[in-house]
Amino acid sequence: MSQLAVDGLTKAFGGVQAVNACSFTVDDGTITALIGPNGSGKTTIFNIITGYLRADAGHVHFAGRDVTGHGTGRLYRHGLSRTFQQARVFPHLTVLENLVVARGYRLPQLFGRRLAGADLASQLLADFRLEPLASSLASELSYGQRKLLEFAAVLMSSPRLVLLDEPTAGVNPVLVETMERHIRDRHAAGVTFLIVEHDMTFVMRLCDPVIVLDAGRPVFAGPPSAVQRSPVVLEAYLGA
Amino acid sequence: MSFLRGGAFFAALVALPLFGFEHWVMNLLVFVLIAAVLASAWNLVGGFAGYPSLGHAAFFGIGAYTLGLICKGHEFASPYGPFFWLPVVGLVGALIGWPFAAVSMRTRADVFAIVTITLLFVAQTLAFNLRGITGGAQGLALPVARFPVETFEWPYYYVLVILLALAMGLTFLTMRSKVGLALVAVRADEDKARGIGVPVTGVKVLAFAVSVGLTAMVGGVWAYYQSFIYPQFAVDPLITIAMVLMTFLGGRATLWGPIIGAFILETGQQYLAYTLGGSRFYLIAYALVFLLIMLVLPRGIVPSLVRRRSA
Repeated sequence: MSQLAVDGLTKAFGGVQAVNACSFTVDDGTITALIGPNGSGKTTIFNIITGYLRADAGHVHFAGRDVTGHGTGRLYRHGLSRTFQQARVFPHLTVLENLVVARGYRLPQLFGRRLAGADLASQLLADFRLEPLASSLASELSYGQRKLLEFAAVLMSSPRLVLLDEPTAGVNPVLVETMERHIRDRHAAGVTFLIVEHDMTFVMRLCDPVIVLDAGRPVFAGPPSAVQRSPVVLEAYLGA
Repeated sequence: MSFLRGGAFFAALVALPLFGFEHWVMNLLVFVLIAAVLASAWNLVGGFAGYPSLGHAAFFGIGAYTLGLICKGHEFASPYGPFFWLPVVGLVGALIGWPFAAVSMRTRADVFAIVTITLLFVAQTLAFNLRGITGGAQGLALPVARFPVETFEWPYYYVLVILLALAMGLTFLTMRSKVGLALVAVRADEDKARGIGVPVTGVKVLAFAVSVGLTAMVGGVWAYYQSFIYPQFAVDPLITIAMVLMTFLGGRATLWGPIIGAFILETGQQYLAYTLGGSRFYLIAYALVFLLIMLVLPRGIVPSLVRRRSA
């Protein structure tokens, strides 16, 4: 069964066709990779799926429903989370507060105490070994720690599907391993992942299947072992 | 700790008039309190939510005229009567502010500042031209309050103390609740906040409505204190600018910043006008004070002193 299905997605920025009649599915329980050369439309597709951009044409189905055009917050509440290429956390809030604020509270619930009901947040802090930093401001964290924090925060909605945009970019090798372990842990707990990533060894050890994008549409989808042998993939990357 | 500090501050405010100051000092204190409540109210929107409203003076004027019209259509047996209508004045301000915020807060930053300053000039033009309601440039008279001459300023002073307690209390509750978290998230990265399920529109419109409701009540007190409303003073861009400057000077998104900023700037302005008045040199001295503080404490007084934030 597919968790996510995009169908004929199209998006142009002026004369640039960023996404071009793009269709693919992400099956339930997979860690699917979305790779492709720079400018092949990966982040644009992420932005359309998660409601940050509106597509010119095409449909997005999530968990069996047509969610085309739904707002970002609504999708998040329904279990579709994402992180950004440049980790976006709230610098003036503490690490713990960054988690609490992502709980998906409705307006009336905001009148409760600032940190009341932070059980899930404490649990995630423990899982991500961020407890010693709980009361540090996010602005005091290193870049890698911010990426971890952003990842932990978007788990506050207990998502079914998480889209990670380059989770290892600019992160030191130890944190890359940590990130990989957290993805595996969450995956074991039933979360489906769609990951954009340029680090191919990371993709090859973690992801199956791999979707290769070129010029705004998929040119290949299959197991990682087949990707390296595919002539269309070589052509996409090397322009042969 | 914060309760102790707040308690001491308000005890001092309550005790202050008992020293039997001269009228000009009491008059100064009334204006300092007006500035403090205004700055504290502005801080909810401009400080916490990060929406630099330049239209708050419109709501000051709306409050002034609302109380003026209530007094016109109502015979008060006691001179304290108009004060009991202040909640209605606040409600009128908030109810006008709500739809305005719902529309204008779709814009951000500098565009929002321009949209709100437009409201200010629309309100001023209306005040001059809706002669049937506002009396136009002739102004609108309120009944002269029959308070004892020796303690004439006291009722206004104490009502303003109550409004200041209300404004600071609401700020305190904001900081202690998840509303504060949501507002700080909106200020830092509104799109991201929306994307993680924060009810962005609801929380910022609520902050705006509460903020302008408080502002309108201050406008009401001011009108009754002056007992006459001239449109150029009721809807005055200088009021807006004072609110912004005081909040930035003291430290935005803090509880005490706007209060400290208001006490320094309002007394400083009055004192310099008094000692250097006539020569107009006081305006330059005033600007120098401001520049000096910006140079030494660029993030505002409170955040620069308390290195860790209290927001």
